[in-house]
Amino acid sequence: MATIQIRGLVKRFGPVTAVDSLSFDVTPGTVTGFLGPNGAGKTTTLRILLGLVAADAGTATIGGRRYRDLPEPPHQVGAVLEAAGFHPGRTARAQLRIQALAAEADPSRIEDVLDLVGLAGAADRRIGGFSLGMRQRLGLATALLADPEVLILDEPANGLDPEGVRWLRGLLRGFAAEGGTVLVSSHLLAEVAQTVDSVVIVDRGRLVAAGPVAELTAGGAGLEDTFFQLTKEGTR
Amino acid sequence: MTELVFPIATPHPRPGAFARLVRIELLKLTSTRLGYGLLAASAGLTALWTTLEASRAGQPGGPAPISTLAGQTSVITGGAWGLILAAVLGVTMSSGEFRHHTATLTYLATPARGLVLAAKMVTGLFAGAVFGLVGYAITLADGLAFTAGHGDRLVVGAATLTDWGFGHLVSAALLAAIGVVAGTLVRSQLAAVIGVFAWTIIIESLIGGLFGTARPYLPYTAATALAGAPLGSANFGPARGISGVAPLPFAAAAAYLAAIALAGALIAARTAVRRDIT
Repeated sequence: MATIQIRGLVKRFGPVTAVDSLSFDVTPGTVTGFLGPNGAGKTTTLRILLGLVAADAGTATIGGRRYRDLPEPPHQVGAVLEAAGFHPGRTARAQLRIQALAAEADPSRIEDVLDLVGLAGAADRRIGGFSLGMRQRLGLATALLADPEVLILDEPANGLDPEGVRWLRGLLRGFAAEGGTVLVSSHLLAEVAQTVDSVVIVDRGRLVAAGPVAELTAGGAGLEDTFFQLTKEGTR
Repeated sequence: MTELVFPIATPHPRPGAFARLVRIELLKLTSTRLGYGLLAASAGLTALWTTLEASRAGQPGGPAPISTLAGQTSVITGGAWGLILAAVLGVTMSSGEFRHHTATLTYLATPARGLVLAAKMVTGLFAGAVFGLVGYAITLADGLAFTAGHGDRLVVGAATLTDWGFGHLVSAALLAAIGVVAGTLVRSQLAAVIGVFAWTIIIESLIGGLFGTARPYLPYTAATALAGAPLGSANFGPARGISGVAPLPFAAAAAYLAAIALAGALIAARTAVRRDIT
């Protein structure tokens, strides 16, 4: 199983340093929360990890390789980055057919993942008519299509109803229990606290804290209090 | 180690990888209504345009009489809208990835961005060819109908008609590939589509009107000449109907348009294709 490794990562957008010498690991068999305030550099880090944004310095690897160097990326990494990343005029089933062909996944997986994410009944509807939660579910179906070893999810609970959030929690816990690696960014701290084993907290592009939730909250404070204390210290 | 560049192509592409990418692009194209809508718009505009041209044939300010070679040529090679909308289709194939933020999924599945661009261009060639053929079928039918309706006989030979059909196919295909490149370079779908219309309808007309000797080398004009249209007959405004300059020969025009597509693709692969997907 694959470890995610970030080392000395730097990304600047003009005068703004979005990611500043960031280093951390995400190990297989765990769900790791990637936390930070808006603009902390979470999405940029994930996009660098997935080869969508070029880093100015440092490395971001999965199983020791850059994403672009993975032999079969969709079979190794499933990612959900943008709820809006679908053509509104395409049906969910057509979208998954395209992704299955791109990933060289067994076409029979399309029905499997549609069932898994609860979209079987909406498979032939155009995505433009989907709610945000349905788009999130479709994103997860896309990510799971090629049965990957690693899941990288950016705010996957956005738009999900309480039942959907619970379902997502079970999915991520089950995926990690089978040895998968899960990195999930979120700003829903209460939800994260119930789902993750470890957290990586960043603020203004820098690492603030990383480790098992149990260790970070050992003083008796909850994850939410710990998060605000750590990110508040960072702004001083 | 510093990551500054994106891959243009995988070091060792898997066998059949490129054919699979073309199939993916064809599936993308056929799984939304936009392509069909553009084809319908192209067919409708072509029918309207050639019908108007044919009905004006022999009248003051109109084409030569439909009984003549010049008149029949003007109507039957009047599939300009098929060419223009083939270029628009190409633009939407690439810029649509940014408009709808689907580039993220595309590049996650295929990190070799240069191969994706190449696959889109090949798919654009196929789709553009369909636009060219449909347009030609309409102009040919219109031309034959008006000729027969006037009780005239067809003076254009079968070989010439076949050449024109092939010319429509090749020119629309190449313009669609150029459109793919334009959409990749510009990324903004609205700007790129406006750019196609502005270039074909306004800019080439102005340049062609001001500098007559440059007309054979203007891409849209070269494409219409490739489709059999007399130089300037498919242009708009000042460049329309100006004669005195010979068009590029068929092979030279095709090679010229292919060179524009390839040069644009190389520039895109070194610049726009490498930009961050944020």
